[in-house]
Amino acid sequence: MAKITIDNQEIECRDGIPVLQAALEAGWDVPHYCYHPGLSVVASCRLCLMEMQLPHPKTREMGWAPKLFPSCQTPVKDGMVVRFDSGAVEQNQKACMEYFLLNHPLDCPVCDQAGECHLQDYSYKFGESESRMHDQKQVNPKKDIGPQTLLYSDRCVMCTRCVRFAEEVSGTEELCIVNRGGRAEIDIFPGIPLDNPMQGNVVDVCPVGALLDKDFLFKKRVWFLESGDSVCPGCSTGCAIRVDQSDNRVQRLKPRYNPGVNEWWMCDEGRFGWKYVHDVERVTRPRLRRGAEMETPAWESLGEIVRYRFEQQVDRHGAAKVAVLLSPMMACEEAWLLAKFVRELAPDATIATGFVPMVGEERCFPVGCNADDAKFVIRREKCPNGRGVELVAEHFGGSTCDFDGFVTKAGEGAFEAVWVVGGYSEEWVPKALATSLAKIEMLVVQDMFESALTGEAELVLPACAWVERDGSFVNHAGLIQPFERAINVPDGARRDGQYLFGLAGFEGLYSGARVRALMAEEMDAFREIAEAPRQPAHQH
Amino acid sequence: MAWKTIDRNEPVVDAGATPVLTEAIRGKIESFFPRYPTKRAVLLPALHVIQDALGFIGWQAMKEVADLLEIHPSAVFDTISFYTHFWTKPRGEKVVTVCRSISCELLGGREVLEAVKDHLGIGEHETTGDGKYSIAVEECLAGCDHGPCLLVNERMHKCVKAADVPALLADAGNADHGLPRSDLFDGPVVDDDRDDGVIASTSDVVEMQDSN
Ligand code: SF4
Ligand code: FES
Ligand code: FES
Repeated sequence: MAKITIDNQEIECRDGIPVLQAALEAGWDVPHYCYHPGLSVVASCRLCLMEMQLPHPKTREMGWAPKLFPSCQTPVKDGMVVRFDSGAVEQNQKACMEYFLLNHPLDCPVCDQAGECHLQDYSYKFGESESRMHDQKQVNPKKDIGPQTLLYSDRCVMCTRCVRFAEEVSGTEELCIVNRGGRAEIDIFPGIPLDNPMQGNVVDVCPVGALLDKDFLFKKRVWFLESGDSVCPGCSTGCAIRVDQSDNRVQRLKPRYNPGVNEWWMCDEGRFGWKYVHDVERVTRPRLRRGAEMETPAWESLGEIVRYRFEQQVDRHGAAKVAVLLSPMMACEEAWLLAKFVRELAPDATIATGFVPMVGEERCFPVGCNADDAKFVIRREKCPNGRGVELVAEHFGGSTCDFDGFVTKAGEGAFEAVWVVGGYSEEWVPKALATSLAKIEMLVVQDMFESALTGEAELVLPACAWVERDGSFVNHAGLIQPFERAINVPDGARRDGQYLFGLAGFEGLYSGARVRALMAEEMDAFREIAEAPRQPAHQH
Repeated sequence: MAWKTIDRNEPVVDAGATPVLTEAIRGKIESFFPRYPTKRAVLLPALHVIQDALGFIGWQAMKEVADLLEIHPSAVFDTISFYTHFWTKPRGEKVVTVCRSISCELLGGREVLEAVKDHLGIGEHETTGDGKYSIAVEECLAGCDHGPCLLVNERMHKCVKAADVPALLADAGNADHGLPRSDLFDGPVVDDDRDDGVIASTSDVVEMQDSN
């Protein structure tokens, strides 16, 4: 730990980090464009300059050095004295801001970034409200640079974060700087678009509205968005994300800083992969078979009906004929509640862990690096909680098996009463399973979409999308990460956690934290939960 | 969309086209490899070699040199566009280089540039249809006390007024300077003295060659 003094205040900070990073972490709002903690330092925007005390070359007496230093490029040193609250620093900030706005079109009313723009914020805080520019503006063009991304280079401040991202993190190098000086712009080699599995991050790192996400283009003013802190369900990496929604509809996903997991990034598959959430084909109501008819039971009566029907099966065939298939799309809490419920009714019931979709290979970034040096990995395991449901199954012990084992046993006619959980965005039911489960007496299917199984079920329950639920996922490395609910469940549905909470014999409202507290009494793993750190407002 | 967006996704290089970098050019570029720590570092000498041989470095050449040096074509585009020295389109017999630095600007350099553009009917870094003239714009030409300045090839014209431009460009001798040709001039020369297939070079490439 180093001790440094900023604006007469002594702070402690990690050794070797840039003064700018130390100041930001300690709560200073130092304006900066080119610095990003996840990228190399270029010190080109000159907005973060500070004053620093140095020994006088002759007298060795400490005093303010006459020139300004880039705080992003100056590492902290124990005993260092710097300041941002001086006239010279403020004058530099003003001058820089004037320069950044020289050729800017000032089109905030039609700009997607308005409301979360560093150009707006810094102009307001550190700039002038008037431009002295009376010459014609240099107008750089708006360019379509890839399938997902637009570049309005008239808004660009040439911080080069995007170029460094493509070079250092995705390793795909599509972006470049063309021309020089006041005419410089960001570009691609014509015909080789910005198109890589992580390209969406360039829009996040752009501090202004120059890089735009086509998916979100002109969709919503950002001040109408409300957010939930979530975890991406796309693969077992478990990126911390923010779900931005308005009117109960997801508008976009953004990564949250999560050291050691996804750092500042997320992949495009996750970023754009949420569209199924608003699919009209989703199962949103419970459906119960009575004789030849299907009817929609009231949620209130459901507990009783389910209990009664399961008990009947246990009486008739014995507890060992009962099984539950826990999906790796479920939260740990939901899996725990369901397993608890089933084991209470049928202590010999089999607890199986569900289908784990595996697609392709692990993809490491920057491209071409080996797994140990990867800054980001998109995993082939396309579900968020494989580890979590395994943990739950292990905890309950007794008769457990994996998905393949379950399919085999079901084929052998080992079960008469089965609760199957899906929750995948895509078709997942193997034919063999559908055939064998069609024959059993009591089938409960909790899923998001209709499948070969829902048609055979006695009871169909809606599985809600992860943005409508809260709980925790355990990622590939065993890290337990909680996620919040961002939107409400569709009309007619109820959160999985809520109905499972009731079935497991608890009263009142479900919450992930509440169930985790209960789980922690039995499972050590749930005593400590990893929360991604909250970010200072202008961290990046 | 309400406003114009340029589509940069359209390919400018035809994958099936015959290569523009000849074996001789490639060989020469490869001969620089041992001198540099990485192939990427050979980019600048490679660009000189190509421009010397072909007169300019078009999209196709950029793509080919990128493949040769195992770098992304965007990196080549980045470097080429940084230096006004490099031409991405065929360059005319004469290059009119207009100063755009401050002294000349204050003395009416901008009007001179506009006059040149109007008269030739082309923009910066473009070439007339008949291949006679190209326009370039440069920072200070070191004649600040006699601005506005412009060069026609190596010949410096000082105190140029916008009204003088038509006559100046019509003058067939506007590039003559009566001095022996500078080694540093790198017009699109064809080296007739060499019959060994070696490409004529700018002075710096010659120098590099000689020191080899
Ligand atoms: S497009 Fe955005 S990130 Fe890229 S240089 Fe411009 S301002 Fe920076
Ligand atoms: S110079 Fe420090 S953030 Fe740009
Ligand atoms: S400013 Fe034009 S020659 Fe120096």
